[in-house]
Amino acid sequence: MADIPQAHARVLVVEDTPTQAELARVMLTSLGHEVRVIETAAMALEVARSWQPDAILVDIELPDYNGFELMKQLHAEGVESAVVVVTANGSINTAVEAMRLGAVDFIVKPFPKARLAVTLANALEKRALVAQLRTVRARLDRDRFFGFIGASPPMQAAYRTIESVAASKASVFITGESGTGKELAAEAVHKASPRAGRAFIALNCGAIPRDLLESEVFGHVKGAFTGATSDREGAAKAADGGTLFLDEIGEMPLEMQVKLLRFVQTGTFSPVGSSRVEKVDVRFVCATNRDPMQDVQAGRFREDLYYRLYVVPVMLPPLRDRGGDILLIARHFLQLFSREENRRFTGFAPEAERALMAYPWPGNVRQLQNVVRNVVVLHDGDLVDAAMLPPPVVMPGTHPPPAVAAPSPPPTDAFTPPAPFLPAEPPPADPPPVGPAPWAEPEIVPLAEMERRLILAALKHTTHDVPRAAALLQINPSTIYRKLQSWKANGLVPAD
Amino acid sequence: MPTPPLTAGFAAQLAQDLGPDDVRMILSVFRADLTRLDGELHEAAAAQDATAFRRAAHGLAGAAGAVGAAELEAACRAAMARTGADMMGPDLAAIHGLAEASLDDLATYVARLDGGPHG
Repeated sequence: MADIPQAHARVLVVEDTPTQAELARVMLTSLGHEVRVIETAAMALEVARSWQPDAILVDIELPDYNGFELMKQLHAEGVESAVVVVTANGSINTAVEAMRLGAVDFIVKPFPKARLAVTLANALEKRALVAQLRTVRARLDRDRFFGFIGASPPMQAAYRTIESVAASKASVFITGESGTGKELAAEAVHKASPRAGRAFIALNCGAIPRDLLESEVFGHVKGAFTGATSDREGAAKAADGGTLFLDEIGEMPLEMQVKLLRFVQTGTFSPVGSSRVEKVDVRFVCATNRDPMQDVQAGRFREDLYYRLYVVPVMLPPLRDRGGDILLIARHFLQLFSREENRRFTGFAPEAERALMAYPWPGNVRQLQNVVRNVVVLHDGDLVDAAMLPPPVVMPGTHPPPAVAAPSPPPTDAFTPPAPFLPAEPPPADPPPVGPAPWAEPEIVPLAEMERRLILAALKHTTHDVPRAAALLQINPSTIYRKLQSWKANGLVPAD
Repeated sequence: MPTPPLTAGFAAQLAQDLGPDDVRMILSVFRADLTRLDGELHEAAAAQDATAFRRAAHGLAGAAGAVGAAELEAACRAAMARTGADMMGPDLAAIHGLAEASLDDLATYVARLDGGPHG
């Protein structure tokens, strides 16, 4: 008989009759398996725990207790080996009982080698399929992925793309509205990649003054420009071996795009003020909240650079298209902020959940984060009820058009006001740089007024992103919420 | 037609599956099992120890079944239910006879393996 090809497996034989045990050992060894023979159920349990066999051949009658009892214990301990019952009794009852207790198959003594080979191969295949199914289900059902929270189909698609592309060096281009988690996605690409142990360098092209961008990316040498008092390494060098994340890539000036194109093509660059060429190994991840092809067509983005960077697109859906993720995320933030702020909240009342689900969240996750932070800072209790939610979440008349009525608008240049706490002010078309600006003598005003102006300016600069504004001001976000509440009460900022 | 003590077909299958060396080794283990367990069976019967008797009969049945000695296996399984004075009944003599016949059959079979083509 030609042997059936078998993958090498660990097989534990639980059999107290030497003739039968030796027969099984010889057959299994000749099939290429690693075999251990144990005489008692108690010993078998120990070996199953420590050796983790792929399959276990169990005799029903054992000296200490029977094979069915052994199977119950293996199941209770989570041993995942494929169990095949070996019996002299081929009755239906024995077979049914064996299957009921989790056996993959049973085999009647005496058995020829071919029958043992087929039975074992089927059992191992079934075990492998069950393991694969579990893995696939876990992937499909997962509600967390690196820093993301969400189990909705569009997020599952994003997770799969990120996972698939992570292992390669291909450039990744992330698109999505403001607040959808583009930087999280970039970090996920890095963390899931073989570069995870190296640097992840993030650069916001929209937040760096044009004149400084080249130096930020490529570094500079001492004396390259006024203020360059020493050599400075840029993001490209810092990301060597790792990942360089260029956020708001659409904001990059055209002249800088030329230099970036050369860097992407060759992996080489020269620091500002130097003719020295440096070579690095960098994986590029870019992001924009605009339609990059529209930028190309409008002449704002180089087509050749677009095709170099837009290799694997990852599209992050707006929160309004993510269904139940809204509540998953809201509960996560509620738990987090309640702990931080020492509040008792354990969840949302049904009416509050309906309001959260009905609101279209133009500012996406960032806005939801702000809303939950606002609630936690200003209230306390067991459940968040609808009355605690700030407008316009609880004012349906003020909602922007819901996503079901109008599909997600394509990303545009226009800023989407995310936060409901301040009067809507259009953001500056060209946001001021974050970097240090020349210091002008300030107007002398009461300190409280200066504080109010500074906080409002930080909010305007961050497009009403309270945590980011708080980070810039190096204060706690709850301070900003409390100040805003107080200013609204005193008419110092318009009420909602 | 009476069933041979060692099922020739199954033994031939074993030789084909395992090769003569492994069959010789298996049959030597079987011989040791038969000798030991037949002795244990008689001792248990003489001592009226039903538990030991059942265990020995079960072991003999398993060993016989493994090599296709169907008649011996059946006799041992029938004996497993005996208790008290029944343990010393005709089953014991029949089992002993079948075990002896199996060992004779085995010796012939091994001699044939040693002497030329098996099967």
